[in-house]
Amino acid sequence: MNGFTIATPAQVLAIDVRLPDLDYAAMAPMLVLFGAACLGVLVDAFAPRQSRHTIQFALSFIALTVALLAVIREARVGSRELTADVALAIDGPTLFLQGTLAVLGIVALLLVGERALEKGGPFVSQAAIPVGSEADRRQAREEGATEVFPLTLFALSGMMLFVAANDLLTMFVALEVFSLPLYLLCALARRRRLVSQEAALKYFLLGAFASAFFIFGMALLYGFAGTVSFGGIHDAALLATTSPLLLFTGLAMVAVGLLFKIAAVPFHVWTPDVYQGAPTSVTAFMAACTKVAAFGGLLRVLYVAFDRARWDIEPVIGTIAILTMLVGAILAVTQTDIKRLLAYSSIANAGYLLVGALAFSKEGLSSAMFYLAAYGFTVIAAFAVITLVRDDDGEATHLSRWAGLGREAPLVAGVFTFLMLAFAGIPLTSGFTSKFAVFGAALGVGEAWPVALVIVGVVTSMILAFPYLRVVVMMWLSEPAEQSPTVAIPGAFTSAALMVGVLATLLLGVFPSPVLDLADRAAEFIR
Amino acid sequence: MSTVLAAAGVGAGEAWTFWILGPLAILAALGMVVARNAVHSALWLVLVMLCLGVFYVVQAGPFIGLAQIIVYTGAIMMLFLFVLMLVGRDASDSLIEVLRGQRLAAVALGLGFAGLVGAAFFRALDSRDAIGLAQANAEGNVQGIAASLFTRYVFAFEVTSALLIAAAIGAMILAHVERHKDQKFTQPDLMRARFAPGNYPGPKPGPGVYATSTSVATPGLLPDGRLSDRTISPILPKRELTEAESTPKATEGR
Amino acid sequence: MGGYLGSYATLGLLLAVGVLFFLVAMTANRLLRTNRPSAAKSTTYECGLDPVGGDWAQAQIRYYVYAYLYVLFAVEAVFLFPWAVIFDDPGFGMTAVVEMGIFVGVLALGLLYAWRKRVLQWT
Repeated sequence: MNGFTIATPAQVLAIDVRLPDLDYAAMAPMLVLFGAACLGVLVDAFAPRQSRHTIQFALSFIALTVALLAVIREARVGSRELTADVALAIDGPTLFLQGTLAVLGIVALLLVGERALEKGGPFVSQAAIPVGSEADRRQAREEGATEVFPLTLFALSGMMLFVAANDLLTMFVALEVFSLPLYLLCALARRRRLVSQEAALKYFLLGAFASAFFIFGMALLYGFAGTVSFGGIHDAALLATTSPLLLFTGLAMVAVGLLFKIAAVPFHVWTPDVYQGAPTSVTAFMAACTKVAAFGGLLRVLYVAFDRARWDIEPVIGTIAILTMLVGAILAVTQTDIKRLLAYSSIANAGYLLVGALAFSKEGLSSAMFYLAAYGFTVIAAFAVITLVRDDDGEATHLSRWAGLGREAPLVAGVFTFLMLAFAGIPLTSGFTSKFAVFGAALGVGEAWPVALVIVGVVTSMILAFPYLRVVVMMWLSEPAEQSPTVAIPGAFTSAALMVGVLATLLLGVFPSPVLDLADRAAEFIR
Repeated sequence: MSTVLAAAGVGAGEAWTFWILGPLAILAALGMVVARNAVHSALWLVLVMLCLGVFYVVQAGPFIGLAQIIVYTGAIMMLFLFVLMLVGRDASDSLIEVLRGQRLAAVALGLGFAGLVGAAFFRALDSRDAIGLAQANAEGNVQGIAASLFTRYVFAFEVTSALLIAAAIGAMILAHVERHKDQKFTQPDLMRARFAPGNYPGPKPGPGVYATSTSVATPGLLPDGRLSDRTISPILPKRELTEAESTPKATEGR
Repeated sequence: MGGYLGSYATLGLLLAVGVLFFLVAMTANRLLRTNRPSAAKSTTYECGLDPVGGDWAQAQIRYYVYAYLYVLFAVEAVFLFPWAVIFDDPGFGMTAVVEMGIFVGVLALGLLYAWRKRVLQWT
């Protein structure tokens, strides 16, 4: 007898071959985006070149709107269930984060689709042409690649799956589905192509490394619990009579994969290079949506699967949170490039989000979700402003070039000032309310670790206010440089994105209660 | 059914295979890291993967074992070799360390990490018996995998197709130059363009040949002593000539 | 020779015989042939010129795309094998066919894209 013996039918009957129940309504947001992305590939293959951009943009926009409506519908029905066996959890956090992803996705899509600022848009026409060659010069004014739209949709469908995934296997596939398009999008900048390709390569190599850790950890957790579902791991941790070493080793490795995505120290080294090298609209997309998705996944893993191991997790992730806040804030002070500055600021913000996550309470969860939404809008608007400040060579991102921008373009400088104040956490902005919510949730627990984290959080917030205010002072009080960049007139798309971002930052700062209530009502995982 | 090994205990054949192939796999992995030539590294990696494939088979997972051999050693290693052919298999990784002591730190941390994980495995698995193998392979290994794949994990399975197609599109974007229809020229078109007014139909003059420098990047001299841009390719950075180099030199006989 | 590993013992034996055959042939060759190496014999000969530089020439990037598409379909094949074993077993039937149809259909989009972008055309 050998290993490939074909079982007789009678034996196969013993396998339970029924399909699991699939709740298509609950899966609709992901399915719509996935289908639209596949359709987008077809559009790229068959539609005439001139009309591709219009078709692709319309398709992506409609798909995201439909996905948003599907999420809203599902939220109104109030469904709380596990579907596809236990692979997907449709619960409050899933729906809140999927809704956030859809809205932020639409806003980021506006930036991706903008073509008024530069002829052909922010993406290179053919990424395979060697940089600096004759052909590269010829393609400088050609239409940008339209594959970015299906790639964006693939990434968003992966992110929506990631926040809903209720077992490690589905989570891993979702992680790859949303990472891979991001690696590609990073490499497609029209200007400074070598920097862009370098960024993509760094992101890809380090991301693949982190994924390997994740999958190793997954194997160990399977070895411990005999299942990859979060509920199963929770039960196994509860009932285990054997040594929990496998559980902790597995958790540590899975956490490496997740902490890499949220850019926590010491897994943050890719962030500044990738944020700087990627096309700015893609950076905006990554900064907002990747953070939402990655934190959604991390929160579910911590709250659903490792609830029991809380006391063991807290010191480790707490230390990482402290390091993240400190390194992000201190290195932000030394930056001279606005995109790198925002990259370090996003690292520090990951630290603040971890403070909320480590509260291990309903308030912690709801405040972290609110923070994600608020931060997403602000960061997209900030990157939208960066796309506007340009010179002959594309975007002028060096801070010295921003000197005296307030006299040149008071409106844009005013908007950016407002966004910087929001990042710094000044009252009446969403930055204040979200930090307040997160720190409040941590203090509400009233234990040693959360309090220590809040203290570090407040101190680093003060450090971090310095680079933001320096940019503001530079824009308004410095003399303009010799060749100051011009501020481009934003096209309709960028204006819309900017408006949504700024309005959300203002409204979430002044009347945060509806969204806070929403997050509060949603803040309950099912297992 | 004798398709599966008895659940507990390690047979003599399994032990023998392990003790022969285990050290071989570790040696091959070390060889992959220290080989100076990238192609040799790739071949060492093939050996590691083959050993792993045999381990999977021995541990009663024939499907994953053969998939490892077919897909990894077959398809993916071939892709690695293509990439090596593309970027060159030179062993010229620089010996300059960007960060001082980086290698030493990497080796120390790597060994530390391996020790930590190894110790954790040893302590966690020492007192544990493997369970569930007989159950998983009850209907045959491949059938068991199929049953999981097409029922419980069907959603993850379908989403994998999204991953694969995104990767395929990405590879084509980054590696394929699309020729526009208007960039395809026939021979008569090329001839017409060559003799069109304003175009010089003859071959272009070659780059400059000097006693002190001969390179495709040195422009040639025109009869009146000026440098000519037409003699070098526009994508090359032009080599600046010193005054002494570019002035015409008289010969002895004049 | 029985049990699970027994069937693989034949394979192992075959491999061992293969290795042995190679070793014996090469060793015999080594022992029987004359061997007088000299410096001139081991130089590379190229039309009377001394070769300069390395022997590496950059491969066309287009080979990579083909290799990649091959990997794609090799991965697909991994999923096809278990499917082929069970798809007409009772209990699977139409469901399994539809599942695999969707999977292969999505991947076929990639091939369609490649065809339209003339990736598959060499000239």
